[in-house]
Amino acid sequence: MVHGKTTTIKLILGLQNITSGTVVINGYNIEKDFTNAIKKVGAIVENPDMYMYLSGYDNLKLVANLYENISDERILEVVKLVKLENRIKDKVSKYSLGMRQRLGIAQAILHKPNLLILDEPTNGLDPEGIKEMRELLITLAKKEKMGILISSHNLAELDNFCNKVCIIKNGMIIETSEISKIKKETNKDIEIFEVDDVNLAKKVIGEIEVIDSNKFKLNISKEKVPDIINDLVNNGIKIYEVKQEVNTLEDAFFEKTGGNVIE
Amino acid sequence: MSRLIKNELIKIFKKKTIYITMLLVFLLIIFMNIIIKASSNSYSSAYMYSESYMNSLKEELSELNPENPSDITLYINLKSEIELNELMYKYKDSEWKLSVINERIAPYITEKNNYMYGESKDENQVTKINNKIDELMTKINDDDWEYFAKEDLENANKTIEDLNFKKSQTVDSEVLKSLNSEIENAKIDKEIASLRLEKKIPYGSDYLNTAIMTYKSSSSTIIEYDNVENRELEYEEQKQYNKALENREESKYIIQTGIDVNKIDSLKFILQNFYSQFGIFLIVVIIMIAGTIVSEEFNKGTIKLLLVKPYTRNKILASKFITTLIIIAFVIITTIIMQILAGGILFGFDSLNLPVIAYNFNTNVLQEINIFAYLGMQTLMQLPMIILLATLAFAISTIFSNSAIAITISLLGYMSSAIINQLIIGYNISFMKYFVTMNWDLSQYLFGSLPNMQGMNMLMSIITCIIYLAIMLIPTFIIFKKRNIKNI
Repeated sequence: MVHGKTTTIKLILGLQNITSGTVVINGYNIEKDFTNAIKKVGAIVENPDMYMYLSGYDNLKLVANLYENISDERILEVVKLVKLENRIKDKVSKYSLGMRQRLGIAQAILHKPNLLILDEPTNGLDPEGIKEMRELLITLAKKEKMGILISSHNLAELDNFCNKVCIIKNGMIIETSEISKIKKETNKDIEIFEVDDVNLAKKVIGEIEVIDSNKFKLNISKEKVPDIINDLVNNGIKIYEVKQEVNTLEDAFFEKTGGNVIE
Repeated sequence: MSRLIKNELIKIFKKKTIYITMLLVFLLIIFMNIIIKASSNSYSSAYMYSESYMNSLKEELSELNPENPSDITLYINLKSEIELNELMYKYKDSEWKLSVINERIAPYITEKNNYMYGESKDENQVTKINNKIDELMTKINDDDWEYFAKEDLENANKTIEDLNFKKSQTVDSEVLKSLNSEIENAKIDKEIASLRLEKKIPYGSDYLNTAIMTYKSSSSTIIEYDNVENRELEYEEQKQYNKALENREESKYIIQTGIDVNKIDSLKFILQNFYSQFGIFLIVVIIMIAGTIVSEEFNKGTIKLLLVKPYTRNKILASKFITTLIIIAFVIITTIIMQILAGGILFGFDSLNLPVIAYNFNTNVLQEINIFAYLGMQTLMQLPMIILLATLAFAISTIFSNSAIAITISLLGYMSSAIINQLIIGYNISFMKYFVTMNWDLSQYLFGSLPNMQGMNMLMSIITCIIYLAIMLIPTFIIFKKRNIKNI
């Protein structure tokens, strides 16, 4: 996603006025039936802003007070889930950014929402924090059966744990589909061969894209790979490795957006 | 909604700010009480004798020559003053004696010196006056203050007789009128002298004598206004008339019961005037909280937490407003308790048994009211002002997300309200009677007293306040509802 991530999230959550179009959550229109639409939604917008002078527990308690039937056990359960049990009685002002991010998630999932909206959840986290966050989100999606909507410009991250993406360019949605589908669509069937003599291989196969003295690229479908290998072996060329060039989300993204990222 | 209000209260009471502020208010209240105590202790009517002043008088006197005609007047004055001061120094421990010497004997001393050194020297007169002084001093030495009161009574009777005689001799209506008011004034002197004797109130400057003075001055004001004919009293004159009436009845009550209801260094009196003395403290605290309750959430970004919860924005803002009202009640009750504690420890709690007295202009009787009932009544009457000020801070801070501006404007509004009212009343700008500051203090209507301006009444004031409240709140709710939550 490129432009208007946070704005989109704010529109979804009713924090900004919608000028055209509609937002429907769980069958309720966010503008016409805000309270019902937002009831089963948990969110962190921009930074996880909490009441700094309160303890993590008090912050969660404040959120719990606003919903019906959130027991103290549920609070403790969530605290355990985000691994804050040792520091939950400390003031939030003493928390690190990663801890605040986790507390933010805790307050967002306290009421067991079926939609969790996160704005750049890994922003400012260290590699370990990012890994923990990823694990936490996967757990939530699988165990608590939550739909998670993440906005991010970190494509590698999204590639790691999302199954569906929506690409926004200049405020317009230009693509919404499964990550695997997008990758497949943009996949050009490129195979990389590592051999002992590139020049000889060139003579045998003809058109190849030389990478260096041992490697070349070939734009062919998978089914044709065994034939090429046969040809090369028959001509005495040694093959060390044949691998498919993996298309990342990033490649797909640039393919879709035409590389023009920021306007 | 109650859940939202509960949360707002938790947020406020888990913050240190409110405790620090309330502690500061408590310290200020203690400080003010100490000042009241110190000022009442240092206040003493006892005669102040200054040696250096006497010396300078004597030195000046020695430079003058009583034989020299141009020096005579000054010589007599200085001489009299020195003699009077020396005499007063002797009796400096008795208030009534000092007061009598100052008022009764001082004229004789001057007169005596006039005959001794003045142009018309008269030994006989000097002896006569000295005898008179001695006679009076004997009474003073005998501790016989009643002698002087009886003398006052006799003089008053004699004056009344004389005036009545004069009245029978004249037919001129103007002269008759002035004689009548003189007679009434003399009757008051007579009444005071007999009250003094009856209630055994020696001369001096204690609260009873203060009450006597007030009784006399307010009575003569009333006589003056009663004698106004041919025209209606102006509104301001009516107010002064009512004030005099109230003062007269109040001082009469003090003289007759002997209860010092206006004792400054008593817990009851401080509580009686609680809002005029400590109003500013509680208003500062209330405005501070009302002016931050919304804007702080915007500044810290926590508003987003609140707005994505299943409550409409109207409910969220309403809960914050209701919380502000609860805080008003909390601050008022806490500051009153603080005053009761601080004042009680410094001045004792006994004065709480004394009544507040108020003259009821509807029934024309003096009412005795329990101090707590009176304080409750005052609180109720001050509530419109406090709520309107809090609402102003609340509205500005919500609309502009700026606490500093909200707090400053509201405080300025409070502090300038007295001056604004004075100007409006002073220039008699009649359409301004609908201005908010003229109406927000309902205590002006208590006990049937005359309101700030002619044509005002309590119902009108209440409606005016409600209109101002709506003018502030409606745009606040609309703007809050429509507001886009920008990046914070």
